[in-house]
Amino acid sequence: MARPVGCDVKVLGRVVAEATLVAGTSAALALAVNSVRSDGLPLVARTAYEVLVPCPEPGGEVTPVEAGELNLTSGRTFLIDARASDEHGTAHLPGAINVPYDWLEPLPEPELRALARSIAASRATRVVVYGDGERPDSGEHLGREISGRGIKNVEFVRGGAPALRLGDRR
Amino acid sequence: MSLAVAASRLAVPARWYLGVLFVGAAWHKIASPESFAVDVATYDILPLGLVNLMAITLPWIEIVAGLMLLLGWRTRPASLLIAGMMLVFIVALAIALARGLDMSCGCFASQGAAEDPISYLTVLRDLAWLALSVLVLVGDRGLVGLDGLRRTRRVHA
Repeated sequence: MARPVGCDVKVLGRVVAEATLVAGTSAALALAVNSVRSDGLPLVARTAYEVLVPCPEPGGEVTPVEAGELNLTSGRTFLIDARASDEHGTAHLPGAINVPYDWLEPLPEPELRALARSIAASRATRVVVYGDGERPDSGEHLGREISGRGIKNVEFVRGGAPALRLGDRR
Repeated sequence: MSLAVAASRLAVPARWYLGVLFVGAAWHKIASPESFAVDVATYDILPLGLVNLMAITLPWIEIVAGLMLLLGWRTRPASLLIAGMMLVFIVALAIALARGLDMSCGCFASQGAAEDPISYLTVLRDLAWLALSVLVLVGDRGLVGLDGLRRTRRVHA
C-alpha cells in the first residue's frame, strides 16, 4: 500500500510537478479555445467592468407598526420624524423630534450619541420612527440605521407620514 | 480497519463528489466567460489586466482537475490542484467579507447577490470542500479508477 503523500518528499515533489503540468496544460488549452471562440474574451480587459455591488449598510432589526395601531398613550414611546426639516416644521406628531434621514451619509456619531442620550433621559421603552412613507421609506431606513448602531426596540410606521395623515394637518 | 484503509475508502466518494462539483462549477464559467469575468472583477482583488486571464484559464483548470478526479487518473495532482484552488477561493471570500461586500460568490452559475450572497457559511462550505480535497490527496489509493487499473496491470506484468 502506498504511503501518505506527506511521508515522502520525492513523492510530494512529483505530485507538485504533475499538478503544475496539468494546470499549465489546462491554461494553454483554455487560451487556445478562447482564441477561436466567437465570444472569447480579450486577454487583457480594455475597460473596467461595471461592477454593481450595493454599499454595505449598517442595518439592525426594526419592527413595522401600522399607523392605525400606533398607540402613543401606552408605554413610553420616543418618536422620531425622519423627514426633512421643512416637512417636520409643517406638521408632526406631538413630541416627535426631527432627525432628517440622509440617504448618502450616515448619521454623524455626535448626533447619534445625543439622540441616544435623549432616548435614555426620556425613559422610553420603545423608539418609533416615521418617515416620508415613500418607497424606499426614510423612516424605515433611519430605523434600521440607528438600530444597527446600538439603539434598541426600534419600530417604524409602515407608510410613514401619509399613513399618519400628517399631510392633512398642513 | 486501519485509518489508512478507512481513508482510502472514504476518498472514493469524496473524489467523485468533488469531481462532479468542479465539472459542474466550471461548465457555467466556460459557457459564459464574460459573466465569470464580471464575477472575478467584483472581488476587486486582481488588477484589471489579470481579470480576463483568470476568467479564461481558471474554469479549464477546474474542469480538467474535476474530470481527473472522476476518472481516478492522477488523483493526487488533481486533488492538490483542487485544494490549492479552494485555498485561493477561501482567501478571496474572506477578503470580500471583511470589506463588507454584498455580492454573489460566483462559484457556480453567475447569480446576483440577492440569490446567492456570500457569507461566513460560504467560507465554512469551502473549508469543508478543502478538507475533502486533502482527504483525497492523502488517502486516495486508486480504488475504482484508472490509477488503480494501471497499478494492477503493473503488478501482473
